[in-house]
Amino acid sequence: MTETGSPDSLTVEVGAHGELVVTGDIDIAGGPILDSAITDREEHGPVVIDVAAVSFIDSSGLRSLLGAARRARGRDEVVALRNVGAEVARLLEITGTTEQFEISAASDPSPAGSGESADSDGAGE
Amino acid sequence: MARVNERGMIGPVEIRVPPDPSLSKVLRLAASGVASLAGYTVDEIDDIKIAVSEVLIALIEHGRGESIDVQFVVDSHTFTVRGRTPMEGFDVNDPDLQLCRTVLEGVCADHGIDQVDSNAQIWATVEHLSI
Repeated sequence: MTETGSPDSLTVEVGAHGELVVTGDIDIAGGPILDSAITDREEHGPVVIDVAAVSFIDSSGLRSLLGAARRARGRDEVVALRNVGAEVARLLEITGTTEQFEISAASDPSPAGSGESADSDGAGE
Repeated sequence: MARVNERGMIGPVEIRVPPDPSLSKVLRLAASGVASLAGYTVDEIDDIKIAVSEVLIALIEHGRGESIDVQFVVDSHTFTVRGRTPMEGFDVNDPDLQLCRTVLEGVCADHGIDQVDSNAQIWATVEHLSI
């Protein structure tokens, strides 16, 4: 993996298939780091973000993801969130933004982009 | 068992911090500790962490003060986080605060943004249901 950011509470690395692997807390401190990593990846095609190791997310983190989703729509693309756990799924559900992304839940063996939402497989709380 | 004062409350626990984003996690951890001491469940503590984080987002991104005062007040039924920063420059109607409000609506029993003296006060209350 290639490390693209390493703040105390959040790391973003580029995985073997070009996906962004996010580890830690996507909060007011980590959001800008994620923003920067996403912007860098947008030059290389559709953005895929693995959030399996995200332990916390708040509205500032969600803003980063929604900004990426909005820019992706402008390119006729969709941001894929892989391995969505309960924390991320719940915030998407609370804010009604689940459908802004292509989501595969943590227990879902199907690849991101299958169109299956976290809500439909019970990943939300 | 947590110690409570004569009003049946823990605290209030009061913390003053600079508006540094990296301290958001520190305050979440502090809130988690207080809530755990008071017997809150893991799910309730997860909600409290989100509430604390949203209060700090509003104060750090929209306030211009050199410090933020954060208070945790816990009684047998509720955990309330309050944050204050000088009102100057703080626009309670800023549309960027809407996402904070939406998230707080989802995790809190009640929340609000008030003007108290010359300060903007943001507060959020999470209920303790498992008693």
